[in-house]
Amino acid sequence: MTELIDALRTAVSTGHAPAADIRLALAGTDDPALLRKAGRALAPLTDPAGELRPVRVSVVAGCTVGPYEALLRARLVGAGALPKITAAPYGAFELTLATGGFDAASDLIACVLDESWFLPPELDFAEPQSAADHLEDRLRQLRELVTAALSTTNAMLVLHTVPLPGHVRDTMVSLRARTALTRLWYRLNTGLLELAEEFDQVQVVDLVGLLGDAGVRARDERLHAYADLPYTDGALLLLADGVRRVAQARLGLSRKVLAIDLDNTLWGGVLGEVGAEGVALGGLYPGKSYQRLQRTVRALRDQGVILVLSSKNDPEPVEQALSDHPEVLLRPEVFSASMVNWDSKAGNLRRAADTLGLSAQSMVFMDDSAFERGEVAAQLPEVALVDASGEPAQLVTSLVRGGWFDVMELTGTDRRRPELYRARGLRKDFSGGFGSTEEYLSALDLKVVIELATPFGVARAAQLAARTNQFNLTGVRFDEVSTRAMLADPTRLVAVVSVADRFGDEGIVGAAWVERSADTWHVLNLVLSCRVLGRGVEFAVAGWLARQAERAGATRLTGAFVPSPKNSVAAGFWEKAGFEALGDGLFAFAPGRDPDPTPSWIPADDGPADQATTHELPAGG
Amino acid sequence: MSEIVEEIGQTVLTVIGDVLGCSPQDLREQPVLAAHDWDSITSLEALAQLESGFGVKLQLRDFHAARTADEMAALIAKALNR
Repeated sequence: MTELIDALRTAVSTGHAPAADIRLALAGTDDPALLRKAGRALAPLTDPAGELRPVRVSVVAGCTVGPYEALLRARLVGAGALPKITAAPYGAFELTLATGGFDAASDLIACVLDESWFLPPELDFAEPQSAADHLEDRLRQLRELVTAALSTTNAMLVLHTVPLPGHVRDTMVSLRARTALTRLWYRLNTGLLELAEEFDQVQVVDLVGLLGDAGVRARDERLHAYADLPYTDGALLLLADGVRRVAQARLGLSRKVLAIDLDNTLWGGVLGEVGAEGVALGGLYPGKSYQRLQRTVRALRDQGVILVLSSKNDPEPVEQALSDHPEVLLRPEVFSASMVNWDSKAGNLRRAADTLGLSAQSMVFMDDSAFERGEVAAQLPEVALVDASGEPAQLVTSLVRGGWFDVMELTGTDRRRPELYRARGLRKDFSGGFGSTEEYLSALDLKVVIELATPFGVARAAQLAARTNQFNLTGVRFDEVSTRAMLADPTRLVAVVSVADRFGDEGIVGAAWVERSADTWHVLNLVLSCRVLGRGVEFAVAGWLARQAERAGATRLTGAFVPSPKNSVAAGFWEKAGFEALGDGLFAFAPGRDPDPTPSWIPADDGPADQATTHELPAGG
Repeated sequence: MSEIVEEIGQTVLTVIGDVLGCSPQDLREQPVLAAHDWDSITSLEALAQLESGFGVKLQLRDFHAARTADEMAALIAKALNR
């Protein structure tokens, strides 16, 4: 794997981000020694082209963390982020959190603690129950430190459950006493996990669970004795991976689409050779393993993952098998796009991405064939690959262990997403028979609702800010905490945009964050899902904002455009909406005097000022 | 025996050179590790890379007693029973 390190060093020395395939190779590596090397090599990484998502991380530890920073950096770059990691001084855990002594602009505060922070200095091994008050007290102190830290930052603070070293347990000769201490320790870890439920800005990685699952030793006694290092490289890597998953979800770097093969992946055997009755699915092993994968895939879909069927087969027998086989759990309608033909899978994935209006970067591809994975890797290096060859009992773990689809919180739109994208595929077919865009949009029965965000829409608005790269005018990614704060701020406004048409309800697909004074309203950012681009929705939003500003007595509506490597589709938006370019990426509009940019097929029908406003296309409009 | 130690020595030079940011040739010319940036952080990095690369576990006091790359190679050869 020195090739991987060499490739990373080359990228660093030539001043650009490692290519997508290199990043995915890095993400797929579990060797701590290699990753600490990779993390060191990546320390001077720059990304002038803006291919990676910047993330600022403060590491705050109550113990020595050794290679943790390097491992975390390697994991974050593997996920498509450009990390800037700062470490708080050794031995200053409490002080750093209590006084906000970390990088205030951090996106993440990654904490590392070991058992010594919680255990009493002199544990009574004969009476472990006597430690109960001390443990409760330490948990309460930690809660206070978290409260203090969060009062100074919008960052997400990441804690973890803490393993109790075996030698502490085993020093107790009384089985009953040992059980009592174990119970106290579980209670402590439960208290840590509860902090994630109590604070929106806290996430807790279950390090104890990860260690057990991976079979990784928590501690190397030599390094603990010599360097006060409480965790092995393997344990630190598991923790770094947990933090990476939080970062990935927060930054919107998670994937949305699972493109999955059929033969020897979703069932055992080749349909064309053994027929529907002959495939291994359900019943005893190995059929039960394939059915377990189908159940997992269905669970992912129920949580918003879009499914694409990718199979080299004749479509009719596949349709029939999926519809009629009694053990199939994934019926044809669960797939938002079906690519069953004899074309190249890379080409099919490209077409599926186009149909769904998503990039290849949002895709995970699972296939048992090394040839198919290789072809996709060569042509679409940004697609994440999951190997489905080998042991069928490992299929589920292979699919989910990477955390490709993690989100901070499921929204209603997330859960409906597969259906929305299925409708989008149907809509694309429908668009073939119209002479003009306006005629097509009219026949769509388009309905656009623009309204002030309520607390229920905050999570979705923040998710759009994190995930939207193309129609993202300024790149400012307002998170859930700052968006919620704006709802109560009279100088701010957050609007959400919902779109529906004859094929389905897209849900909330856009959001605008606005700063407002008596004279001037300024759009801090406007984002719109690429799902609805090309329907004039963005101009309806500009028109709505202008009318709302005019009603409030403002004479000026301004906006900005900050170019990024991915938002060229939005370049020129303000000018097209009738805004005057002021230079430096700023644009201005005179509400009430300049023509309303709302498209003719989306008639303005505002309610009372600051109230929900519905623009409904009249029949035949 | 000496050939095997020599072969291990080549790898040790590469690993330690990589950790210290110098070439194997630099280490041959100045084999005393303390003459390079051999501090507690780099030595633990070297320990991790050597243990992972050779699949061995070393006694920490023996590891710290090794003053040169050659002594380190001999230590690893012993751990490998060669």
